[in-house]
Amino acid sequence: MKLLKYILKRIFQVIPLLVIVSVISFFIIRLSPVDPLAELKLNPSISQEVLQKETRRLGLDKPIIVQYGLWAGSFIRGDLGITSSGEKVSVKIKERAFNTLILAFCVVFMTWITGIPLGIISAVKQNSAIDRLLMVLASVGMAVPSFFFAILLLIFAVKTGWFPVGGLTSHNFSDLSLWGKITDMAHHLVLPVTVLFTISIAGLQRQMRANMLDVLDSDYVKFARAKGLSEFKIIFKHALRNAINPLITLLGFEFAGLLSGAALTEYVFQYPGLGRLILEAVMKSDINLVMASLMIGSIMLVIGNLIADILLLITDPRIRT
Amino acid sequence: MKRILYFIFILLLIFIFGKSCIKADIPESNTFSSANAEAEQEIDYPKSPRNITINNIDYLQSQAPCGNYGGELISSIIGEGPKTFNPFTATDATSSEMGSIMYDGLFTTNAVTGNIVPKLAKSYEIKGNDYIITLRHGIKWSDGVPITAEDVLFTWNDIVFAGLGNTSVRDMLIINGKLPTLTKLDDYTVKFTLPTQFAPFLRQLTLPIAPKHYFTQKPDWDKNFDTFLSTTTKPEEIVSSGAFRLKEYVAAQRVVFKKNPNYYEINLKRQRLPYLEKLVFLIVGDFNNEILKFEGGELDVIGLKGGTVALYKGKEAKSDYKIYNLGPDTGTMFAAINMNTRKNKDGKFYVDPVKQRWFNDRNFRAAIDYATDRNNMVINVAQGIGIPLFTAESLNSIYLNKNLKGHSKDINLAESYLKKSGFYKDSNGILHDKYGNTVEFNLYTNAGNTEREAVCVMLKQDLEELGMKVNFKPLEFNSLVNKLTNSYDWDLMVMGLTGSPLEPHSGKNVWYSTGSLHLFNQRPAGKPATDKLNFEKELDDIFDIASLKVNFAERKKYYDRYQEIIYNEKPLIYLYSPIRISAIRRKFGNLFPSSLMGLTYNIEEIFVKNTEETK
Amino acid sequence: MMKQLFKNKLAVVALSILTFLYLIVIFADFIAPYSKNYSDRERAYVPPSQVYTINEYGKISRPYTYNYIREYDPELMQTVYKQDRSHKYRIKLFGRGEKYKFLGLIPTSRHLITAEDGGCLYLLGTDINGRDVFSRLLFGGRISLTIGFLALLVLFPIGLIYGGLSGYFGGVVDTVMMRFAEAVMAIPSFYLLIILAAILPPNMTSTQRLALIVVILALIGWAGFARVVRGMVLSIKTQEFVLAAKTIGAKPFRIIVKHILPQISSYIIVAITLSVPSYILSESGLSFLGLGIQQPDASWGNMLKEAQEFTNILYRPWLLTPGVLIFIAVVSFNIIGDTIRDILDPKKKDT
Repeated sequence: MKLLKYILKRIFQVIPLLVIVSVISFFIIRLSPVDPLAELKLNPSISQEVLQKETRRLGLDKPIIVQYGLWAGSFIRGDLGITSSGEKVSVKIKERAFNTLILAFCVVFMTWITGIPLGIISAVKQNSAIDRLLMVLASVGMAVPSFFFAILLLIFAVKTGWFPVGGLTSHNFSDLSLWGKITDMAHHLVLPVTVLFTISIAGLQRQMRANMLDVLDSDYVKFARAKGLSEFKIIFKHALRNAINPLITLLGFEFAGLLSGAALTEYVFQYPGLGRLILEAVMKSDINLVMASLMIGSIMLVIGNLIADILLLITDPRIRT
Repeated sequence: MKRILYFIFILLLIFIFGKSCIKADIPESNTFSSANAEAEQEIDYPKSPRNITINNIDYLQSQAPCGNYGGELISSIIGEGPKTFNPFTATDATSSEMGSIMYDGLFTTNAVTGNIVPKLAKSYEIKGNDYIITLRHGIKWSDGVPITAEDVLFTWNDIVFAGLGNTSVRDMLIINGKLPTLTKLDDYTVKFTLPTQFAPFLRQLTLPIAPKHYFTQKPDWDKNFDTFLSTTTKPEEIVSSGAFRLKEYVAAQRVVFKKNPNYYEINLKRQRLPYLEKLVFLIVGDFNNEILKFEGGELDVIGLKGGTVALYKGKEAKSDYKIYNLGPDTGTMFAAINMNTRKNKDGKFYVDPVKQRWFNDRNFRAAIDYATDRNNMVINVAQGIGIPLFTAESLNSIYLNKNLKGHSKDINLAESYLKKSGFYKDSNGILHDKYGNTVEFNLYTNAGNTEREAVCVMLKQDLEELGMKVNFKPLEFNSLVNKLTNSYDWDLMVMGLTGSPLEPHSGKNVWYSTGSLHLFNQRPAGKPATDKLNFEKELDDIFDIASLKVNFAERKKYYDRYQEIIYNEKPLIYLYSPIRISAIRRKFGNLFPSSLMGLTYNIEEIFVKNTEETK
Repeated sequence: MMKQLFKNKLAVVALSILTFLYLIVIFADFIAPYSKNYSDRERAYVPPSQVYTINEYGKISRPYTYNYIREYDPELMQTVYKQDRSHKYRIKLFGRGEKYKFLGLIPTSRHLITAEDGGCLYLLGTDINGRDVFSRLLFGGRISLTIGFLALLVLFPIGLIYGGLSGYFGGVVDTVMMRFAEAVMAIPSFYLLIILAAILPPNMTSTQRLALIVVILALIGWAGFARVVRGMVLSIKTQEFVLAAKTIGAKPFRIIVKHILPQISSYIIVAITLSVPSYILSESGLSFLGLGIQQPDASWGNMLKEAQEFTNILYRPWLLTPGVLIFIAVVSFNIIGDTIRDILDPKKKDT
């Protein structure tokens, strides 16, 4: 009951936040001198009538406040509007959302499964050669511009022929068996996941190391040591659990962060995800599409935090009030 | 111990550094091999397909050699993929291409001669202003419904002339304020009646024909026309007439077509075409990704440009692909000069009056033209894969004015032109006009396009040789177009336009004084031009008159003159035209590349050879 | 702190690399053989000049180089550069080249290294416009290496004042201010970045554009920083010495400046070293999309953009050098940042 009340309270807090986000985003986008019809205008075979029709259809002839009002009204009703090329925004986002979720899931899974053990090792062997090495490796991973790393990997794929060159599925995907489909997708996912993994592993590993150091320094671990428990037992039975808890908060951020952070990677790999969709929409100033994706990004972040908070509430009894 | 290790490490560093400083002068062996280029082969084009009637069905018979059935061809489209599958609402090239694969037009263009040849129609006859068109008996849509005059009537009267979807064809056919009329003579004959003679008309009949029974199945079809056949339409329900029909569309990944079993074209053995089982278009974001996919074997055909040509040409002999030279591109690249002298709504000039004087001075424009180093642009930017361009029509246009020979860079001539108009250089080498104003202006192009940015950097240097101060600012594409079409506040701009090598009238939007793309002297939409420059007047007349001449030679005289005017007046300074080079896997047969139509225009005739034939 | 930093050998290496980079960038005019706009259109995409110290007879000689000449092979549609071995050009130290102002003050035309008159010295080859990659690297570094600091310079005052006020006043003011900051943080940052970069007015000089990109980078980072400041102010506010200051009637501004600022200075140092590299990467990402620093100006990001074409990566590796420099600079910053953070972490002092 308490939990439910807490969740309701949090959701209620989120609403003004989303309103502010939408106002900021909308006005920034509309301030831009970018013309959503630019490409049409430069096509010699497009007539004035077509252009006027498009302008009316997109509501570009009305003042900006009215445009925001119209947008907000339909957004609340669940209608995300149409893109500048006349497709439904909701359809476009649906097409891509699943792909991005797969990618994000793989990346988060990989970073957690490697980041946490590496963080523990660094903490336990603090200031040793291996700790230093991990620190350098983590810095190196963060230091390559993601798009450049992605391009290099693509060329690697071409030269060796070991991996497909971008995309998510092969052209004969729909004719494959279920197992064939799964392996085909996995094969395509290796490279983009590698890039995003390399970028995000460092943060998690450093965080885990810091948390672990905190916990190892705490009184109850000292007490356990004094009791003569084996170091192995202390780390895995007592320290680990407490060190991971704060990371759960990070999970929400990481998931939402991937939506934005993966854009360049998706772009280079021609991955059919949300990031690339939004990137292309922003470049064309496709208002409805950009707004919808920014809102989705923000909502994901907020929900991510909410879920993390709830998880924390369940796993860590100390926080329950 | 540690000290010693450090010492060794530092010694090693010094050694490596020293080693890299000392370099022996041994002549390099030439690493570029030049022996393995293949000689260009003459292409033996088959005769144009002809009509043949078997069991009362009027087939079209391909005259190309017979091939094998099966296999697939994987091509690519750059960008975001199709926005609609409706060829009548499509406004972008990709959507139109997808539409034209599924829907044939009454006629098509012969790849060699550029003439109009029958496709869905069996034949045509011109009687004065009447075009009588006979359709084929017994041919069917992909769902088995016969294709009849009703479909033609529906397409032209209910869609095109009614102004549904993309109205550009309709707009072009408004002749003296009137549209042509279309009447049905019988189930397989229709008649177009034009208000007057109009040369570009016949070519408009390449427009796809829509299946009436499919388009009108819902009562409110005309109100929902813009969303009809959207990309979410179930592929299996789409009724088409082309060689291929839609199999699947996966957003941002690919469009897959499969063969249409009811297609009306047959081969010399009287078997139905097409040969290929599937036609796949991978959606790729940019050229870089496309080339990687070709290199990785995921694509069968690709258009090459710049440095990649040399790369693939060098490897061609030992590879599984063949490279075809398709001749100059149909697009043009130019530096446009803003000759606008009007004021905006607030009474302010779009262009600074000082600059107006320069830009409206023919000598000034000529100076820019003669200072431009097109040869080095071709060699450096296009990496040799291009030809300097001087004409408004592209180099492969059948209306190209071959008398305009062009010139190479001549800085002295350029300076003498400037001198004629009273421009002078001061002691610091800075150019002033005769009133003493420093010559300084902005040069724009779209940011992110490496090729155009590089051209602009060169152009800027060329003009600075004349003492002009040029501020080069790459702009985001959309902002650039906004300048061109709305705010008109630009000076010099490097841009490109696509054109038709067959129909100069399609460039009317650019050259007509009230055209929506009359870049160099853009007037606001819907306002009559009361302040036409002399050469603009002549251009208007040429485009009005030339479209009424049906005879090619007679028409060409007018279009020759229009190119001459542009060449002399130089409102747009043409730069160069890239050469289209395509690579395609050797396993495909029946390839007859043409400079007019490209490489895979005859997709229904292309087939996959048996493995031993490939070698 | 500095002492501890110098004890860490890795950090020392990183620090010396950065010092070196900043030095050559500051003296770019002098070190670079050419200016950033110098272009040799007869030699676009030429490979790096070969500098020889042993001549063709096997004798040690003063360093010299050959020019490249361009040949076009129409059969292969290929531009080939060959060394013109008919004339040697000596490499000179402190030779005369293009005029410039040393450190922006002293007009001179001496450059560290040049080739003899008529010779071309392209240590890292040239780009598509025949501009010297080595020289542009140095000039581009000026932008890439300072953009992060400039952004922080804009960001810190905003964050400090915003977070400080919010934390100091508390209550409704705090709630409203923090909701707004959270909203800014909730917008996916990379998209915000490209939207803002895409709306930059086009009629800007390159300096203005640089300034605005800096402001944009700052606009995205300030909210997070403001939140941290607020948190610190909140916790410090309740400490006894601040309460004491308040009771003796010290003004709020004085309290913030005197007591709170010193406490967060260590955090600022860590934030600088850790966010500068992320700004360098952001600039390169923007440039990759064509929204960053524009031609003909150079930045490592926009130079790398040109290099990313397939043929360039495979056949013109000298164009990839900006990528290498970005990498080196970012790694160095990260290592220093990590080390400082470890040093400043009070929990670690006892270990």
